Amino acid sequence: MTTHPHHHLQLTTVDGEDSVRIELHGDLDYDNADLLVQEATDRLAARPALTDLHLLCADLGAVDSMGLCALLMIARRTAEAGVRLHLDDRPARLERLLTLTGTLGHLTAPPPPRSSATSAAEESAGAARPTGPDVTT
Amino acid sequence: MLIADARGLVVRCNDAAVPVLPAAAPGAPLADVVPGWLRDAHAGLCSPGPHTAPDSGRAPAGEIGGRFYEAHPTVRDDGSVAWWLVDDTDHRLVREALRMEQERGAFLAKASNVLLSSLNLARCMDATAQMAAESLADAALVIAPVRGQRLPVVTCLRGGEPETSTVTADPDAVPGLGEALRGFPPVPSRWIDPSAAPAWMVPEGIGPVGSIVITPLPGHGVPAGALILLRRAEAAAFTEEEEVFARLFAARAGAGMSAARLYAEQSSISDLLMRELLPPALHQISGVDFAGGYRPSADHERIGGDFYDVHPATVEGEPSLVLLGDVCGKGLEAAVLTGRIRNTLHALLPLADDHQRMLSLLNTSMLSSHHTRFATMVLASAVRRGSTVDLKLTSGGHPSPLIVRADGTVEEAETHGTLIGAIPTVTAATVSTSLAPGESCVLYTDGITEAKGGPMGDDLFGEERLKRALAGCAGMPAEGIVEHVQMLAAQWLNDRPHDDMAVVVISAPRTHHLSAVNGHTRGRYTA
Amino acid sequence: MSTSTVTRLTAMGHAGHIERSVELLWAAVSAGDEYAAGDLVLRLLDEGADPESVLLDVIARVQGRVGEEWAANRMSVAQEHAATAINERAVAALSTHPAARTTATRGRLTVACVDGEWHGLPARLLAEVLKLRGWQVDYLGAQIPTPHLIVHLHNTEADAVALSSSIPTRLPTAHAAITACQAIGVPVLVGGAAFGPDGEYAKPLGADAWAPDARAAADLLAREPLPRPELDHQQYDDLPHLADQEYTLVSRSGASLVRQVFTALEDAFPAMRSYTDVQRERTAEDLAHIVDFLATALYLDDEELFTRFITWTARILVARGVPAASLPPTLDLLARELKDFSRAVRIIGAGTRALSTDHSTAAGNPA
Repeated sequence: MTTHPHHHLQLTTVDGEDSVRIELHGDLDYDNADLLVQEATDRLAARPALTDLHLLCADLGAVDSMGLCALLMIARRTAEAGVRLHLDDRPARLERLLTLTGTLGHLTAPPPPRSSATSAAEESAGAARPTGPDVTT
Repeated sequence: MLIADARGLVVRCNDAAVPVLPAAAPGAPLADVVPGWLRDAHAGLCSPGPHTAPDSGRAPAGEIGGRFYEAHPTVRDDGSVAWWLVDDTDHRLVREALRMEQERGAFLAKASNVLLSSLNLARCMDATAQMAAESLADAALVIAPVRGQRLPVVTCLRGGEPETSTVTADPDAVPGLGEALRGFPPVPSRWIDPSAAPAWMVPEGIGPVGSIVITPLPGHGVPAGALILLRRAEAAAFTEEEEVFARLFAARAGAGMSAARLYAEQSSISDLLMRELLPPALHQISGVDFAGGYRPSADHERIGGDFYDVHPATVEGEPSLVLLGDVCGKGLEAAVLTGRIRNTLHALLPLADDHQRMLSLLNTSMLSSHHTRFATMVLASAVRRGSTVDLKLTSGGHPSPLIVRADGTVEEAETHGTLIGAIPTVTAATVSTSLAPGESCVLYTDGITEAKGGPMGDDLFGEERLKRALAGCAGMPAEGIVEHVQMLAAQWLNDRPHDDMAVVVISAPRTHHLSAVNGHTRGRYTA
Repeated sequence: MSTSTVTRLTAMGHAGHIERSVELLWAAVSAGDEYAAGDLVLRLLDEGADPESVLLDVIARVQGRVGEEWAANRMSVAQEHAATAINERAVAALSTHPAARTTATRGRLTVACVDGEWHGLPARLLAEVLKLRGWQVDYLGAQIPTPHLIVHLHNTEADAVALSSSIPTRLPTAHAAITACQAIGVPVLVGGAAFGPDGEYAKPLGADAWAPDARAAADLLAREPLPRPELDHQQYDDLPHLADQEYTLVSRSGASLVRQVFTALEDAFPAMRSYTDVQRERTAEDLAHIVDFLATALYLDDEELFTRFITWTARILVARGVPAASLPPTLDLLARELKDFSRAVRIIGAGTRALSTDHSTAAGNPA
């Protein structure tokens, strides 16, 4: 059996004035999707006044279903926080995956007004974040 | 020392020899006062002709009055022989004990080997009975622990094959047996009176039984059963040492049997739970051929994150509903989610003609505040109309089904939609088409197209390659296409790791000489 | 053979009847007419034919012809699958006929294919024959990973496992499966083309028995039970040459070997640069096969296995109108890549020599 070198996910986070940019290198898959969710959640919690979260996808390798699951979770968190999510420099494979699954529009839509978060989102916000969106506005 | 002359009469017996051979008075015939082995040795030495003893080989030796002696001869000038008797008893006992220990050690090692290699309870019981009958007793019975009075028993006679039977008996009626089978209270081996033993305990052909001992088989914290050893009347009874040895063996047998029993219990539980999660076997329904194939990502698993089902219509003439999908994640966790999805869709079957509504309701039922676990899937409704099959296809974020036309053209069904279970509202577009005889619709999960390998090792199998392969499948039976696609993916992977892979093929049968289909069997056809 | 079998064979008539049945089934299978195939089989049984004979003298022979037709390029891989699927349905039809219904009077057997094996039909035929002979048979199918086989054996009390393999490159996997079964005390009977024309690979891989075909396998199992395997057997004693790691290294670096030789071939044959993608992939696949067979030959330390494959490949290429001239330089390039591997170099050398002496391919081979 051929052994493939594992393409570990590496994250580089750059803080801007109103935005945070996380650069993704490597595969976003079953083994490391949690890493990205954790990083994004931490940043959102640490920067209550954030307006934009950019995920730089230029060096992103393979994205499997758990990777997409992570992106959906981050989109949910940013929507709750009233932060706009950007998936920048998407490679063709990611573009295809997002188109196929009908998630492209959802993942990159502007955040809803902060009061209209869904009830599901409110529950998870309360459970997962030390500071809720109401506190920060 | 004892001196005897050539005629075989005792000449003299010294003080040391008197207590050993008290009858050896001078003039007494040797044959009357010493054991046969010494008499024969003396006769051999005194007989005319070339002598083999004493200088070739070992000195004659044997038992005298319960102890072992070596007899070293010295031939005197007058032809008489002086026999110097050396007591060898202790030396012998040590040697004998060592040999026994070695044999027992080897036996116990073999027992462990045999018993630890199998997790099959019946085989462990057979092996236990057979080994016990070879080395510990003339016959052995192994009884598995049970509730109630139907006892599974394996019986083995020395030199025979183990035989399995079920005995209806109250174990508490036999002293020690009830405790042994319950594993409580802890009891040591228990002797029972052979005449009081129930008939089922005495195997046919063993003859009169001299002794019976019942030994509990201690398991991994659970009772593993009982071992019953029987010896014939003419055989020696069990010594204390042998009993200890039997207990050592019982400990090993018990460990092996209880491991096998725990394994059997666990695997029957997981089988039961898994049965619901396994993909079903597909066959023809109402004149439409269905075939499916599944390979989970991990070789030791039988289930994973891909799933498919075919639900026949409740009313003849209505379409059957096929679903094939893929949940994110893998292994048991993913499989449990597939089970929930399949159950939900089953409950939604009354809405089967409205794919979008089904997907929308499924989506709502799957939404959770705690995670964004989702599924992608294709729904297909298929019904036979004349010789063709009408299809309605809807994709919920899943790779589009491929349609293999009779001329080898491969079309992609133009249906697109949102994945299910992570986003509050989903949309999907349904397309309709029909299959002429010999045409097929192929539903697959991305484990096939994302299979990484090929001759160079790192290419994806991809949609194009799949379409090219399917172009050669025009007119093939549904199972043939499933097998072909699975084979190509497996060859592409060439033992590399992979994701779950599922394929379902819906075909319009090539010939329409359908005569009798009763809904259960394929029926017989007339050409 | 029992008297009832003899009567049935007689009822079926002489060899001519069998020949006719083979032709009829072949016609149905090659026309893709599963219904005709199923009907024919059921009719034969209705007329009193012996089910075992229908399985082995009719269906198995037709399946053999499917393989020959493919090798002669008169059938595509997909058509071969279609034909096999129809033959499978014929077997399924047969097993439902009253004449094929038996009660289990002997022990229990497990029939399976080596993992990665795609030719399930020979094992299926064996399973049906054993059922007819009164065994309780668990047929596990074609794609059974070894861990599933072992779980099955723990859960059932099989007297023996019959393991089938037709692709020689599955032999290392077969060895693992054989050892795993024996480690839990179940003896293994092997069969199928992979084990060599005379079953010569069965012994080095530690199998307890080998049979050339389904009938022989059933006879062998009927004669006496296979002895329980020795439990203190050490797998590495079977193939001591594996210590040199050549097998491990060649099989592990298979894909990069293919890439290197492919690039070198492009330099040597500039015409290759104008190949279409499909042609390039075919070439790479051929190369991957050669490397797979080389690895298997290293595993068994058997030159024959490799030379047989190489001369067979040359014939297949000729049958497909592809000149086999590229084979010797390919082997040379491969040997150059593996120059530090003495056993590999020796085996490749034997392949090259076999090509130059194999007359059936010499015509297509100007070199």
